Amino acid sequence: MAGLIILAFFVLVAILAPILISPESLDVTKATGERFDPPSLAYPLGTDEDGRSILLLLAYGTRISLTVGLAATLISMVIGTAVGIMAGHFRGAGSHALVGVTDWFLVIPFLPLAIVLATVLGPSTLNLIIVIGITSWAGTARLIRAQTLSIEGRPYIERSKALGAGNWHQMTRHVLPNVFPLVLANTTLTVAIVILSETTLSFLGLGDPLAPSWGAILDSAFSTGAVSQGAWWYVLPPGICVVLVVLAFTLVGRAMERIMEGRT
Amino acid sequence: MIRRLIAGVAAATIVAVPAAAVPHAQAADPVVFTVGILSDIDSLNPFTGILAESYEMFQLQYATLLSTSSVDFTPDAGLAESWETSADGKTWTYTLRPDLVWSDGTPLTANDVVYTFNRILEGRYEQRNYGNYVRNITSVTAPDDRTVVMTTKVPSPIMERLAVYILPEHVWSGVDAKAVKSFANEPAEGETLVGSGPFLVVERRTGQFIRMVANDNYFKGRPQVDELVFRIYNNPDALGQALIKGEIDFASGLTADVFSTLEGQEGITTYAGSYSGFNELAFNMGAALVDGTPIGDGNPHMQDQRVRLAISHAIDRQQLVDKILDGYGTPGATIIPPTYSTLHIDPGTQTYDPALANQILDEAGYAMGPDGVRIGPDGVPMKYRLFVRTDSDSSVKSGEYFKSYLAAIGIEADIKPVDENALFEIIGRGEFDMFEWGWVVEPDPDYQLSTFTCGKRSYEDGGEVYADLSDSFFCDPEYDALYAAQSEETDQAARAEIVKQMQQIIYDNVAYVVTYYYDNLEAYRSDRFTGFVGQPEGSGSLLFQYGTYSYENVEPISADTGGEESSASASASPGASESADAGGSTAAEETSGGSNTGLIIGLVIAALVIIGLVIALVRMRSKSTEDMKE
Repeated sequence: MAGLIILAFFVLVAILAPILISPESLDVTKATGERFDPPSLAYPLGTDEDGRSILLLLAYGTRISLTVGLAATLISMVIGTAVGIMAGHFRGAGSHALVGVTDWFLVIPFLPLAIVLATVLGPSTLNLIIVIGITSWAGTARLIRAQTLSIEGRPYIERSKALGAGNWHQMTRHVLPNVFPLVLANTTLTVAIVILSETTLSFLGLGDPLAPSWGAILDSAFSTGAVSQGAWWYVLPPGICVVLVVLAFTLVGRAMERIMEGRT
Repeated sequence: MIRRLIAGVAAATIVAVPAAAVPHAQAADPVVFTVGILSDIDSLNPFTGILAESYEMFQLQYATLLSTSSVDFTPDAGLAESWETSADGKTWTYTLRPDLVWSDGTPLTANDVVYTFNRILEGRYEQRNYGNYVRNITSVTAPDDRTVVMTTKVPSPIMERLAVYILPEHVWSGVDAKAVKSFANEPAEGETLVGSGPFLVVERRTGQFIRMVANDNYFKGRPQVDELVFRIYNNPDALGQALIKGEIDFASGLTADVFSTLEGQEGITTYAGSYSGFNELAFNMGAALVDGTPIGDGNPHMQDQRVRLAISHAIDRQQLVDKILDGYGTPGATIIPPTYSTLHIDPGTQTYDPALANQILDEAGYAMGPDGVRIGPDGVPMKYRLFVRTDSDSSVKSGEYFKSYLAAIGIEADIKPVDENALFEIIGRGEFDMFEWGWVVEPDPDYQLSTFTCGKRSYEDGGEVYADLSDSFFCDPEYDALYAAQSEETDQAARAEIVKQMQQIIYDNVAYVVTYYYDNLEAYRSDRFTGFVGQPEGSGSLLFQYGTYSYENVEPISADTGGEESSASASASPGASESADAGGSTAAEETSGGSNTGLIIGLVIAALVIIGLVIALVRMRSKSTEDMKE
């Protein structure tokens, strides 16, 4: 419940950000504040090194962080579900290959792989989405495969096979609807991880440096020496936002998982 | 001479070098002067290294024939105590100081000088770093042990600027033309490199430190400190903290933000020294090979002087200095920085005036399109690629500013962040419209001026296109004629006039928009060391000069007698007063104190909020599971 409320708040901020905030106020050349102003009435969370309001940056960053998080999760879920169902449905060499690839992605440490990919593709928001999407689907595929195997053992699948259902029909009409609740529950958990990944990669300077996602805000805070300057208003708020959103998604995911457990 | 990034740090490398890495040698407590730098050297071999940090090691290790004055950058005595040129200006005679010896006791004679120059003249690999000094020299001979005679094709002022490190023949004759390419020139365990400069390398650990000891045989007298250590930090913040903690005595190449946190710290003097570097916004003025064959895919709009002029008027250089450099610099004008006051000009005509910029574009036929982007006379919208360097935070930041300035005059800039190595190749192939980079300019303007000559455009070798020095692809016969004229003009005043004309041509053609000249931000433990010498005197950079003046004169404070101390603190005062002018040190102190308590309060609040949330959530959760059980 609390998770939903927090999520609703951030989603609302993300949707309303472009309506409430004029692009002028994020334009570095038209910034009105001083460098590193502490929080005040005009700038509730202080200013950054260009004199822009951190609160507005943060609100705008919500949009980018959530967009990247959801888009990358979508990629990850589509790949994960497709690979999982196919690996569970087919037998033989093809299935072994899919399981092998999944295992390979599971063992390869995420961060080095993502850094290498992001460096090769170049820094942009779209590339970040792709990189995170194609490095984080393996866990889902594993889970979906296990579920597929258990569903495929049920009598009605055998019946549909006897009635002449093809592979495609079995997978889409019988297996997919049955694993879908699990996919949904897993999605909310994955979003949490993906947002964390986005923050990590942006903080390491691998995201679009001109798009102020939370990770990118932390990156510029670090590189401009906000920590030495004691500019806590530059470091803490994006960190707290990340913690809250990740917490919210995790809570919602766990709750959904518990509900699913009763059903399957 | 070297493209050097301004304290650009990849954020991935957060960890600083462990402080314990530097061993303390003798029991008699040698005086150690430790300098923190932000980039490791690439090689100790003077034929291989090209980074500014490497050149600092070379000039500490090896003396040159002539040096550059610390007062005003004029040529000064080095290993040679006097030099003269023949009436036709083609024969140069250098007389070495008497009784010169290498650090290992071997006499340093004219033969070492001849050996070094001949090695460069005859070598191929050796030409890379020093080719522009010797290309005019036909012969180098030694009539006796103290005399070197060089003959040249044409009279040239570069003969007073030969920044060639004289190497000991008895050591380097063992390194042949093939071996030199991979020769590290690092000392064996417990030994020192044989040299003639004020300090000698005894130990190097890649990525950690370089340790040097004073040269007892240095011709200007042994330096006051016994050991000089360069410790490498990967992050400007860590460098600043190291200075506060006292791990290092001098921090070089600080960023403005870290610099301002050091202002007003007890025992630390901050010093914004004028420096010979500038940054620019460059244009693809028609990329081509040396023979004129067009290459690359630059937008032809960039070849229109009016477009470049409009862009120059659209850029608020003062705001860039205020926001990106935090005021530690001056707005840019031409390619020779104001540090070189006898050569620099500031035409001052390309002021910040977006209205004028819009007017220029309107008159040139670039009409405003419906979406706020102008359309060129050729029907192509004014959308350009603008490359910035991911290695430098200030470069990426500048990109944000450029994008906004250009949007105000109807030009859409597509900011493309790439790393410097990739950008170097992109420029060489001409596959860009604009980019942001910078240069550090030598006291002799020849090298910098050469980057705009036709002959320095890219060249083709075996089907591959290679970058040369030109990154604007500017090519103008009048400019080239002036370039040739200045390189043969030995009268400095007359040469300065030519150099000024050349700057004016570059400025009027807007080959570069020189955005700013940045200061070299340095800070040191004034409670421990004193005696630093700025170049130029009073306002210039303290380290990373053309010469080793500060290293030769720096001395520990505790060992001083009263009289010496007062004279020493006087020499440090220009820096102190300057930093007070620039930032207001008392104000800085107050805010930093206030924000520290603020930080603690903020942290406590954040912790409480999170703890509270967790408790609330756990309660709700247990409630909801109870609900579910029912």
